[in-house]
Amino acid sequence: MEKLSYPERVKFLREKKIEHTIKKKEQNGYMDGDDYGTVPLPPDYEFKPMYFADKDFFFGDISYALNFKHFLEGHPLYVDPLEIMCGRWADMLPHYTGRDKAYDTVYPYEELKPLQEKYDIVSGIGADAHFACDYSIGLQLGFGGLLEKIRHYKAINPEKEEFYLAEEITVQAIIDFIGRHIEEIRRCLEKETRPELKETLEEMLEANKSVQYGKPETFLEACQWIAWFNTVSRIYDRDGAGCNLDILLYPYYEKDIQKGLLDDEKATFILANLLLIDTHYYQLSGADEEDKDLTNRLSYLILDAAHWLNCSANLTIRIHDNIDPEFLRRGVTYLFEDRNGWPRFSGDKGLMNYQKNEGITRKIARNRIAVGCNWMAVPGLEYPLNDCVKINVARIFDISFHEMMEDADSEKSTARLFSILEKHLEIAVDVTAKGILHHLTCQQYVMPELVMNLMMKDTLETGQDISVCARLKTVGVDGVGLGTIADSFAAMEQRIEKEKRISWEELFQAVEHNFEGTQGERIRLMLKSSERYCQGSSLGDEWAVRISKLYACKVRERKMPGVIELIPGWFSWSSTIAFGEKVGATADGRFAGTPVTHGANPNPGFRQDGAPTAMATGIASIQTGYGNTCPLQIEFDPKVSAEQGGIERVEQILRTHVDKGGTLININILDKDKILKANEDPMQYPDLVVRVTGFTAYFATLSPQFRKLVVDRFIDGI
Amino acid sequence: MVETTEISGMVSNIQRSSMHDGPGIRSTVFLKGCNMNCQWCHNPETISFSEELLFYPDKCIHCGLCEQGCFSGAKVPCGRRMTATEVLEEVLLDAAYYQNGGGITVSGGEPCCQPRFTKEILYLARLAGVHTAIESNLNVSVDVLSEVLTEADLLMCDCKIFDEEKHRKYTGVSNRQILQNLEWLSTLKIPVIIRTPVIAAVNDTPDDILPIAKLAANLPNLLYYELLPYHALGLSKGTVNSEKIKFDAPSRETLYALAESALQQVKEVYIASKKYKKTAEK
Repeated sequence: MEKLSYPERVKFLREKKIEHTIKKKEQNGYMDGDDYGTVPLPPDYEFKPMYFADKDFFFGDISYALNFKHFLEGHPLYVDPLEIMCGRWADMLPHYTGRDKAYDTVYPYEELKPLQEKYDIVSGIGADAHFACDYSIGLQLGFGGLLEKIRHYKAINPEKEEFYLAEEITVQAIIDFIGRHIEEIRRCLEKETRPELKETLEEMLEANKSVQYGKPETFLEACQWIAWFNTVSRIYDRDGAGCNLDILLYPYYEKDIQKGLLDDEKATFILANLLLIDTHYYQLSGADEEDKDLTNRLSYLILDAAHWLNCSANLTIRIHDNIDPEFLRRGVTYLFEDRNGWPRFSGDKGLMNYQKNEGITRKIARNRIAVGCNWMAVPGLEYPLNDCVKINVARIFDISFHEMMEDADSEKSTARLFSILEKHLEIAVDVTAKGILHHLTCQQYVMPELVMNLMMKDTLETGQDISVCARLKTVGVDGVGLGTIADSFAAMEQRIEKEKRISWEELFQAVEHNFEGTQGERIRLMLKSSERYCQGSSLGDEWAVRISKLYACKVRERKMPGVIELIPGWFSWSSTIAFGEKVGATADGRFAGTPVTHGANPNPGFRQDGAPTAMATGIASIQTGYGNTCPLQIEFDPKVSAEQGGIERVEQILRTHVDKGGTLININILDKDKILKANEDPMQYPDLVVRVTGFTAYFATLSPQFRKLVVDRFIDGI
Repeated sequence: MVETTEISGMVSNIQRSSMHDGPGIRSTVFLKGCNMNCQWCHNPETISFSEELLFYPDKCIHCGLCEQGCFSGAKVPCGRRMTATEVLEEVLLDAAYYQNGGGITVSGGEPCCQPRFTKEILYLARLAGVHTAIESNLNVSVDVLSEVLTEADLLMCDCKIFDEEKHRKYTGVSNRQILQNLEWLSTLKIPVIIRTPVIAAVNDTPDDILPIAKLAANLPNLLYYELLPYHALGLSKGTVNSEKIKFDAPSRETLYALAESALQQVKEVYIASKKYKKTAEK
């Protein structure tokens, strides 16, 4: 029997993951979300939540803690002798909490709902996670140390007994969960016959015995500890925010290398295992507050580990002026080689605008790392609710357009429409702000962040949930539909006001009748062929800048109490379909109910040549400027990399976009024939990974609508 | 230079983010009008010197309002008169991306058919610090060529068929001027890329390629010799005035064999932007 090498083991693990994907699809149907690294549930699995009497929901510290304990007790174990670490999640508690019902029943906000519905606002009320833990807190203490910390502060703050009790139950449940895995590892060891797998199972056993209570000491222990935290944090509330993984792990790596306990191949295997266990968002490299590049040997090894795995991952490289060029090259090379949508790239210059917010230092802004779909957060300090709060600005545009057209006395002009839009936007932002305040007031009582609280500052120290005690409450408020609105304004200005080809009334009738009939279609095509956003110095570009400025201004103008600040961005997530359903036909030639534009991206077909430079320039020019993202989502043909200078060209686009203030770049490298074939028969390509928006997903697990979204964008983009 | 900025010419298209018309990221300015009529031309809309309407009947919505403007994409105007300054304005939209070797490429049609306009565009680009390249079929006098090239940093030019009669048959013109110019290129102080579009059953044998590669090899300023496999893109373009014939693309094996032949003469051979490695090195 030949000894299995680490790369061979990773290859087998990858194949197993593909099997899991197929099984998950059979179990769950379409997922339309991140792959998360979950494993399929056993057929006999069942969880019965402990609800309040006569209710179908639970809420509050103790209830959450007890349900979490109960959940972990029934959650399947996962030990695979091919791996060197253990643990995986298959189900999550949020499926059973009935959180919305808890809000509606106990903390209602009926008075906000009419306007939230009118403007199609995703309020963020009840949203969980979406902030970033400071992993160094947990790594320095271990679960046993966290337990001691809880007991220590419980004695100091006796009035918060319930909070501390809940946290104690939570940590004990995690420790017990690890304990059950230790027993499972022992069982596997008894059965295992291959010496090399037996050897790593022994290491797995020792590492888990160490980290069950103690703080991690070795590289393997640190990775296993992170894997445990990520697994239980996902189970508790689907939290996917990781850390600056290379920087955090480097001391462990260095120490083990010096002691001769570790070599790069084994480190890469351990890292591949960590990436396989969960698709948490990790930032790699970056710069310190003095602009010094932070790339280290582990930055490379993490990329190599993801390359070994060659599947879904969420790794972000922060591009800054002094970035190690070789590291950036490695990232771009793997992006093209593996075509899995990683790494992504964040833009330091634009993100440093976070300093414009009250009390934010340069150091904090640099430490605000990429840990989510489209978003960044300061580990341990910030509660940003990023990606949870969205305003369908395209819907507001629709309402404004109708208000102007239906008012016989109203002047009909783009200027007038813009002022009506401004008025409605102000109301929408106001009701959004009230929703955020409601969340910040009630969330601690409804759903405390019992797991993530463990690695935040001031939570255990003061006995408060992070939603209450976060030092930074820079709450993200994303706008949706920028391209739709900008192109609509541009089309109206060009076709009605400048060229006088159609009248306002003709436009209105065409829009009202969803461009029906030949005449309607002619008007639609006329609008659609107007000067578009991202064409370059076009009317669409001008309107996009104007609208983005207006949006940013209205969000910033809304004053909030205390340390709360609202930060504007443009991001739809992958909800362009749902948002579009609430918007009638628009003057950019879009049919009623069809998707609005994605994130900060332009309408498909914005230029005949689909020039990425034009798109990168257009999107850089509409950045909202306070450190939240307006991402550039771009598709490249894989052939580009094979051509002489192809990788350099892509790098140039990334660097220039970042220089111009771009904040985040998500890239898909897709073979046109493959994506078209996969769209027809997805299960023929169970390993095809795409970056849908900020997250990566297996193409086969996406619903037909989501697949169409990716296919349309791709076909148009190249 | 005030008066010279008013020099204008016919442009069919300006393509940003061009990845196949020279090094780095480039904006390619396609001028309208060509003095050859290659049967496989992939830009047939650039052959005529005049404005024309490209016609795509499948896109017509039968609104009956053609005179008031077509927006369906059925009738697409091709060609607009632009001043060199206007061209530059558009080209400079991507100025920030031209680092690391990128810049402007003036292509066609045949840019040397509008020599003053081409030269002025290149002059203005250089003035703005932009790397300049030109794509030419070489079917122009040495005087014209040398004049235009004073403002170019790179020349990419075609030698399509070595045999004169065959050249005349497929392109409508003799290749004598082209072959003369090909020798003259050695006097240039700028790098040169020689390219041959490879069309199955037209010029896809080593006998077709070797003499061209031999001429290319004599150029001390040759960057590399490139084989461009035929593609049928030109057939999908709705040109009214030219009938195009569908050819076959050469097989991969044929291209590799041609590249191997060419490597007997020149140091570097590319196939469609990719550097070809000798069989032994693969």
